[in-house]
Amino acid sequence: MKFSQSSLTWYTFPNLSLQHLLQREYTNTCKGRYLKKEIWRCLTRPTCSAPAFPAGRITALQALDVWKRHFVENGVTEPEQSSQYIIAHLLGAKTIESVEQQRLAEFLSKEETQQVWRLCSKRLSRMPVQFVIEEWDFRDLTLKMRPPVFIPRPETEELVELVLTDLQNHPGSTETTPTCLEVGCGSGAISLSLLKSLPQVKVTLSMIFKNIFLVLLLCCCFFCRLGLQDRLKVYHMDVIKEQMPGLFSSISVLVSNPPYLFSEDMATLEPEISRFEDRAALDGGEDGLNVIRQILTLAPDFLSNRGRIYLEVDPRHPALIRRWVEDNVEELRFVETRQDVSGKSVLQRDQHTFQEF
Amino acid sequence: MSSLLPFTSSLLGASRRLMWKNTPGLSPLLRLTPPAPSWVAAFGKKDLPDLPVLLEEELEEQFVRGSGPGGQATNKTSNCVVLKHIPTGIVVKCHQTRSVDINRKRARDIMREKLDVAYKGELSELVVKKKESVLRKQEKRKRVNENLERKRLFNEALAVDNKPGDDNA
Repeated sequence: MKFSQSSLTWYTFPNLSLQHLLQREYTNTCKGRYLKKEIWRCLTRPTCSAPAFPAGRITALQALDVWKRHFVENGVTEPEQSSQYIIAHLLGAKTIESVEQQRLAEFLSKEETQQVWRLCSKRLSRMPVQFVIEEWDFRDLTLKMRPPVFIPRPETEELVELVLTDLQNHPGSTETTPTCLEVGCGSGAISLSLLKSLPQVKVTLSMIFKNIFLVLLLCCCFFCRLGLQDRLKVYHMDVIKEQMPGLFSSISVLVSNPPYLFSEDMATLEPEISRFEDRAALDGGEDGLNVIRQILTLAPDFLSNRGRIYLEVDPRHPALIRRWVEDNVEELRFVETRQDVSGKSVLQRDQHTFQEF
Repeated sequence: MSSLLPFTSSLLGASRRLMWKNTPGLSPLLRLTPPAPSWVAAFGKKDLPDLPVLLEEELEEQFVRGSGPGGQATNKTSNCVVLKHIPTGIVVKCHQTRSVDINRKRARDIMREKLDVAYKGELSELVVKKKESVLRKQEKRKRVNENLERKRLFNEALAVDNKPGDDNA
């Protein structure tokens, strides 16, 4: 179901047939064509050549070895893991450790070998493994991955864990069905996790990505299967440019993994990211805070009393954000900064409080 | 579930409280080496509720993610979790899924099982369950053999009964 109100479009998902509708829209619209051009541009960059296709039959173990060495020779990062994930995927497993030794020692069929060569060649162009196998795990979900939609990072799993723990321990004033708002949803990983883990939660997503249909397709395939249609709404809007007073209200939890990289860091990104992922999902401006500031400014209008904001930010940000919020957003009160397990990014919580008059 | 049995370690003179659920008759003298952990909420396994609980301070976690930037600036796929229990030196490696979060949880489950075996030895849940399973199989085999024996005897008796009948005819 597609609704329109002036310049704003939003989507709900009444039934599974929407998935087919989206698939068609994705392939037919100019946005789909834009995306296909993007993918084509990425794939047809000058690449290293693949190793010779084996004349006879080879085993999975031999294929692993051939490709690992080839990745090493061509400077592809994580050579061993890349070949392992790709070949495990082709053998129907998630990790190579899950494949039986016997299966690894068996000869691959001709089709299987061709598949190995086809997928591993994509990896040669530095396409991330997640885009090569077109899926990846996020907590207990397996999500579809397509370039250039941002690939969920493991640190964000901790962000979701934090939100879930809080929702379970502190359900909030009178909320029996808390509503969450995710800003900049990407593949929808955060929201889908929340929806799956907490049956009582409702989620609204907003995202600016040009090809809404791709993202909807990625989300839709998943949650239609789980029957989550009536608990999810998607808004296609630019949080920075568009301000819609009264659009969202009584939100219990605002969660986001906004673009937070410093512009100067964009130049040193590895090819897996710079060539294949959407820059708009990464670049946070000169100090990395452009989108974060906007979210924090608008948040008090969205949140219910005691509503909470959860953000993943750069390790250099917490003090800056605290100061900025104290100076500029009266209604928000800082609660906590937590470092993720690898110590490389940070999860921050702020809480909305009403002014007493 | 049975109530908690408070238990104090006397081996090292430490004043830590060690609480084992449902271990009646377990003498402190059977305790193997050193300090068992104290208790926090566990990643509980439903079918093995009596496993020792883990204390995060006693665990050392290692991600094979290397140095360099993290978060959005990087896309590393190596999500293998290596968990070390410092007091006992037990190391668990888990790479069952592609999610770091799930691997961490599973590593802790495996660690609990290993600690259980290390601390309780013969009385650990895993060993006990294994023995029970072996015992059950033995009993089943015994019952099957007994049934077969009974049938064989019955058939023999039947054959013996028929013979005099034939003679008479």
